[in-house]
Amino acid sequence: MGYADYLNGFEKLVTGYVPERSSWGPPEHALYGPPDPYRVPTEEANDLCFKAIKFQFDRHFHNNRMYHDFCLESNVCPEDITSFQDLCKVPLIPNEFFKDCPSGKDFALWLANVYTGELPQIQIKGANPTTDEVIKAFNDAGMAVFFSSGTGGRHTFMPRDMRSFQMNEYAMAKGVVAMFYPHWNQNMHGYLLLPNPFKTNLFAGRLGTIFVDIMKEVEMAIDREIDTELIKLSMSDGKGLKGRMVNYISKKRHQKIINDIISWIEKNQREGNEMAFVGAPFLLYATIKKLKKEGRSFDIGERGAVLTGGGWKIQEHQRIPESEFRNDVESVLGIRPEHCLDLYGMVEGNVWLTQCPEGHYLHIPNCYVHPMVLDDSYQSLGYGKVGRFAFLDGSMYSYPGFIITNDRVSMLERCPVCGRPGPVLEPGVTRVPGKESRGCAEEVRKMISVDMKR
Amino acid sequence: MANLWEIKANGYMPQRAYLKLMVNGGMSLSKVILLNLRELRRLRVIPSDGERYSRPSRQYEIPTFQEGMRSCRSTEKYLRPTLFCDHHDPLVIAIANELGAFKVSDREFAEAAYHFVKERMLLEERTINDVGETLVRGTGTCFHLITAFIALCRCAGIKARYKIFAMNMIRSWYDVVIQPDPFIKKWYDSLGYFVLEGEGEVLVDGEWLVANVGPEAEWQAATGTTITKLGEDSIGNWFNAVPGTMMRMESLPYGLKASLDLLHTIAPGSMERVNISMAAQKERGRRIIIEAGGLEAYDRLARARQGPRMPKLKLESMKQITFDG
Ligand SMILES: [Zn+2]
Repeated sequence: MGYADYLNGFEKLVTGYVPERSSWGPPEHALYGPPDPYRVPTEEANDLCFKAIKFQFDRHFHNNRMYHDFCLESNVCPEDITSFQDLCKVPLIPNEFFKDCPSGKDFALWLANVYTGELPQIQIKGANPTTDEVIKAFNDAGMAVFFSSGTGGRHTFMPRDMRSFQMNEYAMAKGVVAMFYPHWNQNMHGYLLLPNPFKTNLFAGRLGTIFVDIMKEVEMAIDREIDTELIKLSMSDGKGLKGRMVNYISKKRHQKIINDIISWIEKNQREGNEMAFVGAPFLLYATIKKLKKEGRSFDIGERGAVLTGGGWKIQEHQRIPESEFRNDVESVLGIRPEHCLDLYGMVEGNVWLTQCPEGHYLHIPNCYVHPMVLDDSYQSLGYGKVGRFAFLDGSMYSYPGFIITNDRVSMLERCPVCGRPGPVLEPGVTRVPGKESRGCAEEVRKMISVDMKR
Repeated sequence: MANLWEIKANGYMPQRAYLKLMVNGGMSLSKVILLNLRELRRLRVIPSDGERYSRPSRQYEIPTFQEGMRSCRSTEKYLRPTLFCDHHDPLVIAIANELGAFKVSDREFAEAAYHFVKERMLLEERTINDVGETLVRGTGTCFHLITAFIALCRCAGIKARYKIFAMNMIRSWYDVVIQPDPFIKKWYDSLGYFVLEGEGEVLVDGEWLVANVGPEAEWQAATGTTITKLGEDSIGNWFNAVPGTMMRMESLPYGLKASLDLLHTIAPGSMERVNISMAAQKERGRRIIIEAGGLEAYDRLARARQGPRMPKLKLESMKQITFDG
């Protein structure tokens, strides 16, 4: 099948995520337009990217009081951003900013003040609403406020509107589908190594929504409602009665999920179905370890795909070596390394980097994202140097998506292995030392511990 | 002596929050004294063979006052003389004129006064006195130095006031200000905060700019903080204000002098130890700045260490968000 037909199959399933073409502005042209976000010729990508970011920068400058003042303080205004080369002047917001939010009624005002543009009417009930109640009120009014959690119990909250969230979902899925070409098809049976996307406002969980649309049957590893309170509990240090209880249930729960995954593989293997595993790597890692121990293996072969994301930590100080993981996936499940790809993204942006099957480098969708690597004084470094990842997200409508992350990366101008034209990050993204460790996979790992329902 | 009307109008009477702080501070101080009488007696004096504090010489020449030098004579709030802050003092007028009073813009004058007080006047623990005396000596507590800054600004016709709060401090400050003396340490630890700290504020182009004139560059280098500029706050930098204690005042209130006098009477040795420690730290800071390759290079490093700049968010109510509780 040619790429155009392959993509057409995908586009048909995701029409709900794409606005009417006649209404597209620069951000939509940059994000929805290119058939493969990782294969846009550099000049064209730079042009699309500049127009989208310029469009968003002007909007946030004029419609977001907080960002407007921040730009004035930094001596930057829309007149200063006139070409692709000027993008490095756009004032960046450290992701720490989105962690420092107040509680109660002030949390609602915080979300509203961070937001760019016209909010819907939102009614908050109660004299002292909890964080989850505030998020629910926003989302009931049509917003898409999600959070991601940190080890210190500090969450990151991002106020997206539905438009920005749909762009996020679409961008992630399209990037994945493009990288898996010609391997993805809509008859795949999916296993989400994630919370049920319909029962949580946790970002890692909500991302799963689109997978339900582009696969045939989707099983969820964690099927319960997850809110900030539950996460606080599951990210706790395991001390005290509550903590010990969590640890005990954690073990039982963990074993149950692993057994479920194995039964799921057996069933689909019997029926000859295509299988896709999507989500936190540690669950699959644990499954493989168990199978290995029991001396069992499968030959899923061409019918299988693995998409991981959210970080590679399995214990506080232990990381899963990615290449070893791929080798294990091949020897135990029979899924080839080129069908085992990692995805890198975060709650702070609609920025999705997917590994190429050829070299497992993380490709940057530079048609709507301008990536940067910063040194310790937050100055932009060139290619090939290790530093802090930052990006300008030209698709983000709901808040200024110009973000400094806590991730340590090395960026190359071109992939050393495959022929795709855009820049890449080397595999093995880590946290900047001294910053709290956090990752979506980490959330899922700790959360399983409190899934008491099944 | 001020009459009753002046006392009220000029804000000499302590505010409620101030009184509360004084009462809490006084009570915890009494407790620390009562529980540590013997130790305090030992700490009161520095032993004869102990290291003594000697005041460094003044870092500037005193200009001569000449008839005809201009000074602001307004009786408007924030422009008139207040307790210990009489900017009609000839020395204040002479220095203000030397710094460009009435010749440069308000912002330029505020910058000049800021740099003069921050860089040329030195931090020293001592009792409160009039601003003229402080300028002759060239040293003082943060309250002396803020007063000098405020007097210079008011003399040049620029409104200025005090911002006073209770605070706790970052570790590197604690280590040099609190740690060296067991008595101060006990007092701070028992309260969990330092009773009074202050900054100046000056009104430039319709905006109140904070002026933290206390710590010199060497001191900031020793404590690992940035070299602050006019408009940059100590709060959120090396201090955290105790919630509910922030006060804006036209004048230092009655009672401040008495409390500092009392402290120096009870524990003169402790005050001296703090001064000795601060002098040693400034020497260390001087070396740190040299090693970093100069003041600017040090500041760049310190700012990089501090992390990137954060936007400021003011929580404003919005008609789209309604609360029913
Ligand atoms: Zn590649």
